[in-house]
Amino acid sequence: MIRLENISKRYVMGDVQVAALDGVSLEVDKGEFVVVLGPSGSGKTTLLNIIGALDVPTEGHVQINGGNMTLTNKVNRFKFRRETVSFIFQTFNLFPSLTALENVQFVLDMQPADKTKKEKRNGQANRARAIEVLTDVGLGERVNHFPHELSGGEQQRVAIARALATGNPVLLADEPTGELDFRTGIQILELLKRQAEAGKTVLVVTHNREISRIADRVIELSSGKIVSDGAPRGGKAEIADLQW
Amino acid sequence: MNMSFWLRWSWRDLRARWLQVLAISLIIALGTGVFAGLGGQESWRVDSLDTSTERLNMHDFKMELADGSFIDQTDLIAALDGIEGVAALEPRLIVPTLLDASTEDDTVLAQGQLVGVDVSENGPQVDSLYVDQGRIFTSDDAGQNVAMLELQFADINNVEVGTTLRISGDVELETVGIGQSPEYFAVVPPDNSFVFGEANYAVMFVPLSTAQRITDREGLINNVAFILADGADSAAVQAAVEAHMTASFPDTGLDFVTRDDDIGLTMLYSDAKNDQVTWDIVALMFLVGAALGAFNLAGRIVESQRRQIGIGMALGVSRFWIAFRPMLVGVQIAVLGTLLGLLAGIGLSSLFASLFRDILPMPYWETSLYMPGFIQATVLGILLPFAATVLPIWRAVRVSPVDAITTGNLVAKGGGLSWLANHLPLPGKSFMQMPVKNILRSPWRSLLTVLGISMAIILMTAFIGFLDSFVATLDRAEDAYLYENGDRMIVTLDRFYPETNGEIAAIRDLAAEDGSPLFAQLEIGLMLGGRLIDGDEDIDTLIELHDMDQAIWRPKLLAGELPTASDEPGIILSEKAADDLGVAVGDLVTLEHPRREGLLSFRLVQTELPVIGIHNNPVRALSYMDLSATNLVGLNDVTNLLVAKPAEGAQPDTIKLALMNQPGVASVQEIAEISESFEVIMDLFVTILQVVRIIVLFMAFLIAFNTTSINVDERVREISTMFAFGLPVRTVTRMQIFENLIIGVLGTALGLVLGWFALNAMLVARVEDQLAEFKFIVEISPETLIVSMVLGVLVVAITPLLSIRKMTRLNIPDMLRVME
Repeated sequence: MIRLENISKRYVMGDVQVAALDGVSLEVDKGEFVVVLGPSGSGKTTLLNIIGALDVPTEGHVQINGGNMTLTNKVNRFKFRRETVSFIFQTFNLFPSLTALENVQFVLDMQPADKTKKEKRNGQANRARAIEVLTDVGLGERVNHFPHELSGGEQQRVAIARALATGNPVLLADEPTGELDFRTGIQILELLKRQAEAGKTVLVVTHNREISRIADRVIELSSGKIVSDGAPRGGKAEIADLQW
Repeated sequence: MNMSFWLRWSWRDLRARWLQVLAISLIIALGTGVFAGLGGQESWRVDSLDTSTERLNMHDFKMELADGSFIDQTDLIAALDGIEGVAALEPRLIVPTLLDASTEDDTVLAQGQLVGVDVSENGPQVDSLYVDQGRIFTSDDAGQNVAMLELQFADINNVEVGTTLRISGDVELETVGIGQSPEYFAVVPPDNSFVFGEANYAVMFVPLSTAQRITDREGLINNVAFILADGADSAAVQAAVEAHMTASFPDTGLDFVTRDDDIGLTMLYSDAKNDQVTWDIVALMFLVGAALGAFNLAGRIVESQRRQIGIGMALGVSRFWIAFRPMLVGVQIAVLGTLLGLLAGIGLSSLFASLFRDILPMPYWETSLYMPGFIQATVLGILLPFAATVLPIWRAVRVSPVDAITTGNLVAKGGGLSWLANHLPLPGKSFMQMPVKNILRSPWRSLLTVLGISMAIILMTAFIGFLDSFVATLDRAEDAYLYENGDRMIVTLDRFYPETNGEIAAIRDLAAEDGSPLFAQLEIGLMLGGRLIDGDEDIDTLIELHDMDQAIWRPKLLAGELPTASDEPGIILSEKAADDLGVAVGDLVTLEHPRREGLLSFRLVQTELPVIGIHNNPVRALSYMDLSATNLVGLNDVTNLLVAKPAEGAQPDTIKLALMNQPGVASVQEIAEISESFEVIMDLFVTILQVVRIIVLFMAFLIAFNTTSINVDERVREISTMFAFGLPVRTVTRMQIFENLIIGVLGTALGLVLGWFALNAMLVARVEDQLAEFKFIVEISPETLIVSMVLGVLVVAITPLLSIRKMTRLNIPDMLRVME
């Protein structure tokens, strides 16, 4: 599903070259729930951005669903983001002028008419689908609220609904609970876990080691390198067991 | 706090948004530059007139002998010798003549005068000649057939140095120079029909002895120009001169004309003052437009720092330092605006000055940067950016420290008018509905953007509409004169002649060399001065009486009907006169007019007449009556006005030449020349406004571009989110274009409405005080509307295209991580 070969990403800051990622290689299978763990500056967000084709590596190859994203051009990267990956951000990045429903419907409306992986939808169908997804994330009663009328947890759930509505097979979440309290964070994690169980590949970037306990697999980064890759230390836990 | 720290920070701010700061500074610079450039025209013209008259030793007064009187110049100098208070005097011989300066390519026929002046010692010493082309007179020219032609006539009629001038008496003069004399900066023909004298009245300076010889008045003069000694009293000197003259030449009538009595010179000075009123309005509007545009944009820049200001508050930074950084944005704009304003002021002053030089007659110009205007505008340019920062700072310090340091979803943000969107049936997909919702979500920001655009459109509409109105007024005048028999000629006679008089018959019978008649039709008319009175209002009028049943030309009416000979007498007024008097067709108006009481005596009488029509000529003074009303004025069967329709094939120049040689003919003009002469009146305004239009266009574009550019900057995070979800650049651009389109339409509509009001306010202010003699047609031409809409809608809408490169180079991950 996702295959990274010897990925490096270097930035030049003044006279100094900083390596955000340094020779990272990994593979992630379909349906895996992967947590990328690491302290601030370890390169985890850079990794997520490269997987999501928001950024390109300085060296190495990225293959997703068999396609080499390193060699592809900007137009194809846009297409890839539209059809393969969906983002969930720490700060939600909802469109403030759109209601919850419209934020979700937005990504459905932008799907090209000839998309083959799902039937062509008209506006009414997109709206119905958006309501369905919002209901799935527990916001069936809040569809017509604007972001500023929603709590942080509700906003993040709208963001997840937006990501899910695309139907894209890969979910990339950057510190999805970073802005939320514990209880709301747990709800969000449950939602993400359910997506992996439903067959989506989910990558969650976090610095919160507790979250990594529920992952199928934990990749730990430090100074741009993978320092560990495997099952959670101490075994996989249930969401109910988490505490922070 | 360390000052250098803040300056460093401010420098970074400048580097981040230098383009916007530069654009706002340019807007201020254009405003101050135009203000300084136009504000100085009165001072330029007055100073230049003062300098020109002083350097050319203009007379303080002149003594004119009665018509037909001449005195021996030697006797005269002897008679005036030793009068206290006279610094210099210059005897001249001034005689009327006709001029034929035609060349193979061009026919130039005009009435004019020969001015014989002393050419010894590079004279004349009083009312000296400024040589524009060719050479100055020398003592060797005395007695020679050489002339210096007045510059404006030469320019308008394309007469060059070397041209042979043929004058009355079949005398030929060689044009050795083209130049000016302060006495003729404004050329006023003897009949005081001074308007456009420059084009139709030729002044030729010749050596005095030459003038005396060719007019057969050897040794005689009829005019003396005087310069007073320092501190001399003009009236006392005139009295002394008169006493000496009376003693030496008791039978010679004379008259004194001082500078204050000089119609041309007075007109030039008063025009400078009157025109300044218009330019002040234009300059002030421009400055206000620039000020509001800059205020809006500077405010929005600071607005974008509002959150950081709030954070500063939360961190306990003192209010002074909180205000300091946004104030530094104001400083940047103010400093740059002042520097660019100085350059713009000098540049535009120089440009306007060169336009004035081309249009106005003074040879010496004083057109340095008008410092009072520049200082006023600069003070405003400095204060404005600071004022613009006050509101955002005030808004920012109202944020509570808790809110200021909160990020993410807890940031308190209102939804503006978003609720309204839920009640609007918006068509299309959600991302095409988003532009409308964005506008509604941030009504304040949207309003500022709309106001920014509208400011550009207001400027465009008001200024170009101003120009359009001038042009429309000219077009109306042209239509009034030329809509019917536009080839006709107007002949004025030097007095009233019986219709059956020999002179009239001779004119009627004029024929070409081959014997063919020159006129297809010759109509007898009358022209009289008078006054229209209605209650407290009264205005001067010039009444033309034509036989409306068979006139070559009749006034074109906006209301009422043309009279016939059988009708009771009635008067046709201009629209402006009717408006000013508050009368309409059917109302009565009192006409004060001369009435002949005896053979040569007239008495002013008042007659109440019905208004039977309103004509379309914008000149207020023109009124018309049927010729059958001549008994009202006691002038039955006499005429002083002829309207001639040339015979087919008869050349206007041939007719002019023939008419000018006829006794009794005072002037001959093609009607098209009168129409064109209106363009001369407005030439100064039209020329300057053409320049202002270009500056307005540029400034409007700057405002529109900067407004939309700031908009894109403010949306960068949303744009990045869309990119993260794979929305193509073209779709995002389309959305922005759509949003800009809505903003542009709103801004343009508001701008057009407010621009219309501004235009009316400008014209009303101008017309009421300065151009009361004209009916101004307030008009915005379709071209102006199209340009305004192109600028306000199209330019604003397509501005996002200029940001495509910026968008494609966005660091999406960075933008997405930006905290609210």
